[in-house]
Amino acid sequence: MTDLISTDHPLTNPQQQTLSALLDVLIPADDDGLMPSAGEVDLGAYVNEKSRDFLPALISITDEFEAPFAALSFAERLEQVRSWSEVEPELFQKLLMETYAVYYQQGRVLEGIGSKAGAPFPEGNTVQSGDLSLLDPVLAKPRGYRRV
Amino acid sequence: MTKTASDEPVDVLIIGAGASGAAVAWSLADTKMRIVCLEQGDWMKQSEYPTNKTDWEVQQFGPFNIDPNIRKRETDYPINNEGSPINVVNFNGVGGGTILYAAHFPRLHPSDFKVKTLDGVADDWPISYETLEPYFGQNDRMMGVSGLAGDPMYPPKQPPLPPIPLGLVGETVARGYNKLGWHWWPSDSAIISQPYNGRDKCLNLGPCISGCSQGAKSSTDITYWPEAIRAGVELRTRCRVREITLDDQGMADGVIYYDDQGEECFQNAEVVIMACNGVGTPRILLNSKSDRYPNGLANSSGLVGKNLMFHPVGFASGIFEEKLDSHKGPQGCCILSKEFYETDLSRGFVRGYNMQISRGSGPFHTAIQGYMNGKIPWGPGHHEAFQKRFDHMANIGVLCEDLPEECNTVTLDPDLVDSNGIPAPKIDYTLSENSRRMLDHGLARAEEVLLAAGAIETTSSGLVQAAGWHLLGTARMGKDPETSVVNPWGRSHDVKNLFIVDGSIFVTGGGLNPTSTIQAAALYIADTMKKNLANLFD
Repeated sequence: MTDLISTDHPLTNPQQQTLSALLDVLIPADDDGLMPSAGEVDLGAYVNEKSRDFLPALISITDEFEAPFAALSFAERLEQVRSWSEVEPELFQKLLMETYAVYYQQGRVLEGIGSKAGAPFPEGNTVQSGDLSLLDPVLAKPRGYRRV
Repeated sequence: MTKTASDEPVDVLIIGAGASGAAVAWSLADTKMRIVCLEQGDWMKQSEYPTNKTDWEVQQFGPFNIDPNIRKRETDYPINNEGSPINVVNFNGVGGGTILYAAHFPRLHPSDFKVKTLDGVADDWPISYETLEPYFGQNDRMMGVSGLAGDPMYPPKQPPLPPIPLGLVGETVARGYNKLGWHWWPSDSAIISQPYNGRDKCLNLGPCISGCSQGAKSSTDITYWPEAIRAGVELRTRCRVREITLDDQGMADGVIYYDDQGEECFQNAEVVIMACNGVGTPRILLNSKSDRYPNGLANSSGLVGKNLMFHPVGFASGIFEEKLDSHKGPQGCCILSKEFYETDLSRGFVRGYNMQISRGSGPFHTAIQGYMNGKIPWGPGHHEAFQKRFDHMANIGVLCEDLPEECNTVTLDPDLVDSNGIPAPKIDYTLSENSRRMLDHGLARAEEVLLAAGAIETTSSGLVQAAGWHLLGTARMGKDPETSVVNPWGRSHDVKNLFIVDGSIFVTGGGLNPTSTIQAAALYIADTMKKNLANLFD
């Protein structure tokens, strides 16, 4: 489902499978299928293109969760990731940031949360002007600034 | 070896092309003098602002971050904030801070100019609201300001454009204020709600603080500068000023700066005007040492770099059951409240604060903020918690008046330098007890409003660290050369052809966003210079 296209992928297939299983824990799919799992996003390609400084760390993370991590149950993977997040809080937080960054750019995700896919410009948004009669009680108040 | 930029001295040399530099350049242009502005940054392109791209939120953490120490563009200089709980935020480029500001555009109140007289603290300004009133209006028309006349918290004024939309956030929070019987009003915003002077109206993109792709936000690169350049002002970008130089008589005779190739240049000038903000201006003055001025230029009072005022900021957030479409519309501009702006000592502090209602964040920021404050977990439950908050939030910023204190300073860092080797500014600032009490009071009142408006959950936090937008007071104006740096029309007491027009000259800071007042003061100073051209240095 990723919006990214990559030919020279920075991760090996086993690494991609591990990373997908890891991201699936960070943001699982919702029950009704509206919101996809982050495991469906190609974080490796995104980092390679947009956040290359993080790539070595990402590779080392996937190596840390090497097989059979991807074959574990969700509960087992969740427990492992939770333990790791406590041992490596800074690295975990960086991974989470990158995951959220790419996840909340995906068209399907944005549509799922009721937002528009793509860049905000030039389409923009419609915002209602609002009811200025709400100001009536304010206008009934006395002058509120101090004269000098 | 220093290269001479041109054979001819310029009549007026302005340092900085931001809010005040643009205004003063435009105003002085009608004198037909030769005016040059040196700006250390670049021209910005609307097509390169983040909202043109799908990763618009991510860019706010990088090249469009408000903190120059994170942004680290070639055109930025580092700032040592280690001695301050508030980090300086800014932008270096044509337009200066207006490129990334929220465009909230209130004016100081009449009482803000007479703080000593009314409340017995700090000092009075040597000028008044009435002095600046015509320049406020002129500036509103030049910038393109949207708002609504009739606010009982101000003397009469008429913004040139109708207010920007309240949206569901504004209406909802306004009902909370009405329940409590407190003041609120649609914000004056430097964002055009209708087509204006060749610019198209706001598209409600959202994140004004990463630049406006539509050009509806009134940054000075698209308001003042095109007119100033058409009128003959020369604007040179990528020119970073190191110091102001003096002639044998102790008058400023020009500046030494580094051009885009890093080459050291000298520009001769008859008059020098500083418009570099409350950190950049004292930085250059303190770096302009000489035998005559060993403590820095224009500093016989010893006050250059002292009395730094920020506006301490905190935020309260409310979660609402109903969807508020919070991420749509200008994020920082909606409605405001001045209920607690004027002094009431029964509250436990002197002076007051502005409440600035802002809209919600985009999805990425919502997720990150939710993680940081423990409200949105990763893993199971993420989507439910996210959906409860995204587009269901309203925020109230509490922006407090900071009183001037000489212990809050901008000095030159002894070690840290920018890419040209110029010493970086070092900030030393302590939040006063008065400001702390004010902030606590404001955050409690903000949560009260949100609950009155129907919020099902509220949180608040502050002091916000990355909120040093408003840089004021470090070269204050006054009549007495012993207690001020510049006179009531911005001229240095020490150096008669040196002027300062940015927020440095503020005597007190009020409790609200200062850009409107900074620009009005710059226009007033320019006008006074024009009226005194024949005897400008007397």
